[in-house]
Amino acid sequence: MKLPKLRELLEAVNSLVHRPYTSRFPFEPHTPYPSFRGQPKYDPDRCLGCLACEEVCPTEAIAHRDLTDDGTPRRVMIHYTDTCIFCGSCEAACIADHQGIRLSADWELSFFDRAKESFETIDKELAICEICGSVIACRDHLRWIAERLGELAFSSPTLYQTRLRELGIIDPILLEAARSFGREDRMKILCARCRRQTTLTTAAWPQGQEAGQGLT
Amino acid sequence: MPKSVISIGPYHPLQEEPEHFQLTVEGEKVVDIEVSVGYNHRGIEKLSERRSFDQATFVIERICGICSTSHPFAYTQAVEDIIPVEVPERAKYIRTIIAEGERIHSHLLWFGLAGHFLGYNTVYMWMWRLREEILDVMEILSGNRQNYAMFKPGGVRRDIKPEDIPLAIKKIDSILPTVDRLKKAILDDPVLHARLKGIGTLTKEEAIAYCALGPTSRASGVARDVRKDAPYGAYDRLDWNMIVTANGDVWDKAVVRLLELYESIKIMKHCLLNLPGGEIDLNLKSIPPGEGIGAHEAPRGETFHYVRSDGTNRPARHKVRAPTFMNLPTLKATVPGSSIADAAIILAAIDPCYCCTERMAVRSADGRKLYSGEELLRLSREKTSRIQKELGKR
Amino acid sequence: MTREEVLSEIQSRFGDVILDFFDKSAKRVYIELQPRALVPVARHLFAELGARFHIASGMDSRTHLEVLYHFSVEALNLLVSLRVKLDKNDPRVDSLASTIKAAAWIEREMHELLGIQFSGNQDLRRLLLSEEWPAGVYPLRRDYREWDPGAVRDRGV
Repeated sequence: MKLPKLRELLEAVNSLVHRPYTSRFPFEPHTPYPSFRGQPKYDPDRCLGCLACEEVCPTEAIAHRDLTDDGTPRRVMIHYTDTCIFCGSCEAACIADHQGIRLSADWELSFFDRAKESFETIDKELAICEICGSVIACRDHLRWIAERLGELAFSSPTLYQTRLRELGIIDPILLEAARSFGREDRMKILCARCRRQTTLTTAAWPQGQEAGQGLT
Repeated sequence: MPKSVISIGPYHPLQEEPEHFQLTVEGEKVVDIEVSVGYNHRGIEKLSERRSFDQATFVIERICGICSTSHPFAYTQAVEDIIPVEVPERAKYIRTIIAEGERIHSHLLWFGLAGHFLGYNTVYMWMWRLREEILDVMEILSGNRQNYAMFKPGGVRRDIKPEDIPLAIKKIDSILPTVDRLKKAILDDPVLHARLKGIGTLTKEEAIAYCALGPTSRASGVARDVRKDAPYGAYDRLDWNMIVTANGDVWDKAVVRLLELYESIKIMKHCLLNLPGGEIDLNLKSIPPGEGIGAHEAPRGETFHYVRSDGTNRPARHKVRAPTFMNLPTLKATVPGSSIADAAIILAAIDPCYCCTERMAVRSADGRKLYSGEELLRLSREKTSRIQKELGKR
Repeated sequence: MTREEVLSEIQSRFGDVILDFFDKSAKRVYIELQPRALVPVARHLFAELGARFHIASGMDSRTHLEVLYHFSVEALNLLVSLRVKLDKNDPRVDSLASTIKAAAWIEREMHELLGIQFSGNQDLRRLLLSEEWPAGVYPLRRDYREWDPGAVRDRGV
């Protein structure tokens, strides 16, 4: 047993001389490796509000609320930190080149007040139907679709009107041309139901009906 | 001699998960054992039915923390077996790398626990410090130390970047010298010989009758390993050895796990250095109706998954069978006849993973505080120090 | 023995009780049997061929209950699954626990989760469910409904 004892003695001396293996956290910060999967964070400029992340999330840690009653219509994307499992499915599903939501390296996520601190939100502007007021999609999402369709975007006034409004162009000649034929409602940003109705009718909007009341 | 019953569990200082053993003892000898499980039952088989095939992988991953890769590996193979279809080569290699990394960390964890039960806390600390290197490698490759989220039906979710491989190899190489040193320290120690040899023997016939799996059966001379019998992943692309010993006692089980460490390191390095190019995912869109079976050699034995699909995007039935489910009944053959002081190490020798074994709803198990479990631990350590003193005198 | 010899022997010896023989691929064969023939065929596979018993998986297939017993002949890399279909109102099948020791626990599990009766098995105690679980409520059946009003429902699922 002599030789093994020497071996262990050497190891013991080694450990005495060297500093302990454990780091001095929290006095020393800890940065994980770059590939570490930490807290998902939304990028308000890149996110399109398309809800793909919400669809794929295995634990339903992403939700949304559409607020249309007060102020600018907006969609609030909510990510619940305490339900998230940091799997990265949201980032993998993001249609905005995986940049709308990305897993950061944040791992110190504990909080005291669940009602206030357990979630993160961003706001995205919503496009709503000019006739019935129902939600179509986020503005950025419509713009994203219009960009990718190229010239085909001109098949849907919803798509190209969104794009033109964004560029600051509202063509008065187009609107005048439509008004004189009584099909003025086609030149508006509409939800799918109203789109079908205005396309299939040649009649003008019934007098006395106000926007927001919907078509019967 | 009057019989008394020692109850261990459900809250158990010996292991991290709740389980209940009832040892009937006569004096110093254990004559019978009754194993009760079910405290960790979470309803995972039912949960799988409410998630899509892709989302279910995340539920399956969380069946167990230690064998976090084994269950998704078997599950994704079961889903691919429904069609059936083979994943791309690169995906097979990446899956093998993650699976072997998990085996290394799991065996090191077991060695730490075994040292803890015997009273060798130094071994415990050393082995777990060594684990940190392999866990760092897993963090570099997959983004997390556990629950790697790498598997999906049809391939893997994330690629391994070429710039990460040199650092990973460096860290894996740094484990080898310490494992060598510990191997010599463990295999030469006469106290450990006296403590572990001849204890808790599972004969070959019993291993076959109980259908024992993994190191528990390979230590008894039954040469069974899913990686060799039904090759999958990259296991048939290189040469490696299946470790089989003959005696079936706790010593042999420890030796099997130790030598498997070397094989795993060899496989992992080979796969990292020879990663083929190509796709990592088949992008399966839908799973046709049918049934499939997948199996993977987890660190504890064979994990077996059966998936039935009815043409929707959710499993119609998902049966999970972890290796410990087959290994636990072998305790009825190994524990009776041993002394109480040895009961602790025999129970640990099968490397039980209870959260793998039971997968349904946890009910409020009112934890009965027990002192007999601590007593067992104390008895085990006292026996070790007794043997140390005896050998020191000689 | 080769794969073809093994399969043709099963078919010739037990042909009268085999209801369906599905040779899916080189590694997978699914055989449907009459419930009364389960023990003889299982004994042939386990004791005579030396196949390993993996596990049994029970499921509720809406119109009936079915149980699959999975065996693998490791030398041939062949997995044979024996299927028995049981009547939902009175699901009973002979117990394998006396032939194969490894089947004892899975029969207890299927008994409490699906309500299948294994005739000949004396020990069908609860394995996984707790004592407070009501009798006659089988979680893995399709008609299972949450019965516990005190169960915690958190956000998410």
